[in-house]
Amino acid sequence: MRTVLLSSLRLHTRRYVSAILAVVISVAFVVTIAALSAAARDGLTRGVSAPFENADVVATAISGRDAADLMAAAPKAGADASVVGWAELRVARDATTVDGVDQVASIATAPDLRWPTLVDGTFPTGPGEAAVDDRVAEDSGIAVGDTLEVGRGGQTSEVRVTAVVDSPSAFLRSEVYLTWPDLAPFADQMLVDSVAWAGPEAAITKAVPTAKVMASDQYVDDLTKQLNHGVDVTAIMLLLFGAIALFVSVLVIANTFSILLAQRQRDLALLRCVGATRRQVRRSVRLEALAIGVLAAAIGLIAGTALGHGLVAALNSWFPNAGLGHASVSPTWYVAAGLTGVLVTLVASWLPTRRVTTVSPLAALRPGEDVEVRSAAGRLRLAAGFVTVAVGAVLLGVSVATTEPLVMVLGGILAFSGVLMLGPVLMPALIGLTGRLTGRVLGTPGRLAAGNAVRHPRRTAATTASLLIGVTLTTAVLTGMASTRAALSSELDTSYPIDASLTVGPEGAQSLDPDAAKVVGAIDGVEQVVTVPGVRATVGQLGPLEILGRPADDGLLRGDGTELDVADDEIALPVDLGIDEPIPDRVTVQVDGHSVQLRTVVKEGFGNTSALVSSATLARLTSEPHDAALWLRIDDDADSGDLADRLDVAASGLGADLENGFADRAFINLQLDIMTGAVVGLLGMAVVVALIGIANTLGLSVLERTREHALLRALGLTRRQLRTMLGVEAVLLSVVATVLGTAIGATFAWVGVEALIRKAVSDAPLVLPWGQLAIVVLISAAAGLLACVLPARRAARVTPAAGLATD
Amino acid sequence: MTITQPQPQPQPHANTGALAASARGLTRTYGRGDAAVHALRGVDLDLPRGRFTAIMGPSGSGKSTLMHCLAGLDAADGGTVAVDDVVLTGLDDTALTLFRRERVGFVFQSFNLLPMLTAEQNIALPLELAGRRLDPARLAEVVDTLGLRDRLSHRPSELSGGQQQRVAIARALVAQPAIVFADEPTGNLDSESSAEVLGFLRRSVRELGHTVVMVTHELSAAAYADDVVVIADGTIRAHLVSPTAEVLASTLQDAR
Repeated sequence: MRTVLLSSLRLHTRRYVSAILAVVISVAFVVTIAALSAAARDGLTRGVSAPFENADVVATAISGRDAADLMAAAPKAGADASVVGWAELRVARDATTVDGVDQVASIATAPDLRWPTLVDGTFPTGPGEAAVDDRVAEDSGIAVGDTLEVGRGGQTSEVRVTAVVDSPSAFLRSEVYLTWPDLAPFADQMLVDSVAWAGPEAAITKAVPTAKVMASDQYVDDLTKQLNHGVDVTAIMLLLFGAIALFVSVLVIANTFSILLAQRQRDLALLRCVGATRRQVRRSVRLEALAIGVLAAAIGLIAGTALGHGLVAALNSWFPNAGLGHASVSPTWYVAAGLTGVLVTLVASWLPTRRVTTVSPLAALRPGEDVEVRSAAGRLRLAAGFVTVAVGAVLLGVSVATTEPLVMVLGGILAFSGVLMLGPVLMPALIGLTGRLTGRVLGTPGRLAAGNAVRHPRRTAATTASLLIGVTLTTAVLTGMASTRAALSSELDTSYPIDASLTVGPEGAQSLDPDAAKVVGAIDGVEQVVTVPGVRATVGQLGPLEILGRPADDGLLRGDGTELDVADDEIALPVDLGIDEPIPDRVTVQVDGHSVQLRTVVKEGFGNTSALVSSATLARLTSEPHDAALWLRIDDDADSGDLADRLDVAASGLGADLENGFADRAFINLQLDIMTGAVVGLLGMAVVVALIGIANTLGLSVLERTREHALLRALGLTRRQLRTMLGVEAVLLSVVATVLGTAIGATFAWVGVEALIRKAVSDAPLVLPWGQLAIVVLISAAAGLLACVLPARRAARVTPAAGLATD
Repeated sequence: MTITQPQPQPQPHANTGALAASARGLTRTYGRGDAAVHALRGVDLDLPRGRFTAIMGPSGSGKSTLMHCLAGLDAADGGTVAVDDVVLTGLDDTALTLFRRERVGFVFQSFNLLPMLTAEQNIALPLELAGRRLDPARLAEVVDTLGLRDRLSHRPSELSGGQQQRVAIARALVAQPAIVFADEPTGNLDSESSAEVLGFLRRSVRELGHTVVMVTHELSAAAYADDVVVIADGTIRAHLVSPTAEVLASTLQDAR
């Protein structure tokens, strides 16, 4: 049997190309993920101990203000302390914002706790001095001796750069480093990891009772573990997509084997005739599968290693700040990925190879034209399919009622498996329906294509199933994200009814500059500016406050515009007024001896330093209001980063407080975009494998139908018509699978919205991103056409005489 | 080599020329160098209209290649072919395909029908491909002649071998082609079905006025034909017009 095995491997390997490709892609993906996560882990954890090396203890679980308290307490306790934390601040040189530089961290003046390494100049020794990162220095041209302005709005610190430094750790790297006295005013805005402390530790809990104190080496251990854990979680999420691709590969491989073995049925029967036992035949075929699996896994490991290292190298050179380390994939990963590839091939080929050995030796002797024209689905399978779909649907319904995510996932998996089981009936029916249309439009080739596409229902089902999986998931993600976005957007309309506002500061001028509206209105992206009248008043116990009169709204506010409505006997106070004492139910508002009693309500989105009353109430308070604020409506397509910088500059020029809701909105939208893009991109891999599967089925079917094509050509089918016929077949397969997948995906997304999002946002709508869904269908149609190019060319090249002569 | 020129026959299927097909100096070689097989070595042949001609010869004699070249399924390496007054030599693939579609009917040994189409759809296929309308009266005539009336909605897998070949003949005839080529049409059939199929082919010539060229290696099949062309080793050995059984047998014996 060995000669048989070897020669059939030699003869048929080319036909296994797609199966090999499917395994290669999946295995390569796993190895690439392993390489990337190894690099990320290495990059994140290397050097994180630097700030804590000379510290006795580390204080964690603290806020920015706690950190400030600790820093204040340290000198009294005779200790050295250093804050490990960052603030996002505007950094300007010569009154211009430095592009892409906004991360500011603290640098200790005590040499023991100062962890960056010096590249140029001398370390900052006190207030007014700063260090910049060496990469930032190189990119933005900041050098020792330059003066920087750090801060937002009215708060800025002016510092001179005395040092260019490098960070031993990518995790800790910042762009600009200030000494604590310069950074302290921004403590509230800081994201604090910890405070390194060298000295008596009793002072820590005395200053900040809630702080968690631990030994520094213990803390470094914990931090490393935590960072590794973060990478692991991400890697596992990514591997989930690898698992989807692997599952799709199983379908493609299984389909390849069943088609190939069906084509070789007579050869195998002949082997039986000349004395091979059933076991020998089965062994030979399975060894063939093993060989294919090993070959594919090996190629996948090599490709994955190359891709992983290449990707890490490319990322490191494009984004030096991304902080990727060395991409060393551990042998365990290699073994696991390789074994997975081989195992997937073996599992996928198990059923087809078992079926083949049921061939009776007589099959070889029968003058067979078609061994098997229709492979019908068993009744059992149908019944099981229906039951599974039904149970899944019920579970999905339950999940909507109970908003239980686990029930939803289970229901989704069941319902989808049921659809796959029904595939041999469902797909041919759908294709037949669609085929009637193509037949009408494209004539005979179109009709023949529809017939060809459903000749082997099982084959059709397996081919389309692989694409169905990818498309269903993609559509569900796209629709889910679009719905989430819509839900969030209505939430954001409530939180940020005004895109941006500039309000006179508590210590600022009494009135805005008369030209302010003109200056701000000229900023690119500002669509509408409304000047809001106001007056400085004393509000009960809360002290002096700017009172704004709500202006008339013509398309200025987001949402339905009622968010900021205030009744005539009410005064709206901002959520974050920054006052510790509770807000009373009623307050007396006094202006120049006038006093008015008002009910308090709490609202958000109009700045944190002012209160809001109706315009009638304002008129009761004063007859001469001044320009107290500018409310802006911003163009939806405006670049939020540029705009934020310009508004910052304008606000500090006017001495006004800026509240920029648009930036927050843009940030959330960007996050959603990134997430959607990443998920769709990763699912794209499964779709690619599925399309290889379609090309494969078509290619093998073309081989199988050589004589039939020759007959059609003899009867007058032109080359072009033959190619059209195969193209239509491929497009029918891909488009029908895509449309069905889109429908199922949208349904799943609807369930998801009902079960998950509606829990948080009661009126969350289901939003179908029609444009994106149309693109998915178009892409899959185009890909289907692409998949048929090679098989169709090969089929059209065969002359009728040659085709008729083949056996 | 004995060449007997055919006598002009009465032609019910009147047309411009007397010849349905002709070949001059036809050569066809497969492979190269040592592996070269000369399937045709300079064949000259004229096939008259309205006749049932059998092309006979042993396996590997080149008879199928000759038919493929005459029918525009394969391109000859040298020489010229004209069918129904159309010179095929030099036509590109599309022109050849359109020519086959319009003027030629085919019956093959096996795998004649598309498995996913019904008998009726198979019969109508060439007309559909050409975008021509199927004349119901013509369909009825052919279907009734071949006794396929109650088989029209069946798929090939539900038909016997003889029935499948009758459907193939119906398909070949329905478009009223200038010439019908049959390649071993009875090769896979039992003797009863063979007789039936050959009888139909003969009737289509005698009663419907078609021109049929049949490749066969069976003497019994050739006996149904009007004329017999004997080919061996890629050359024509004889072109017998209405031969008796004895003449045919002795000519074949000589050709071995």
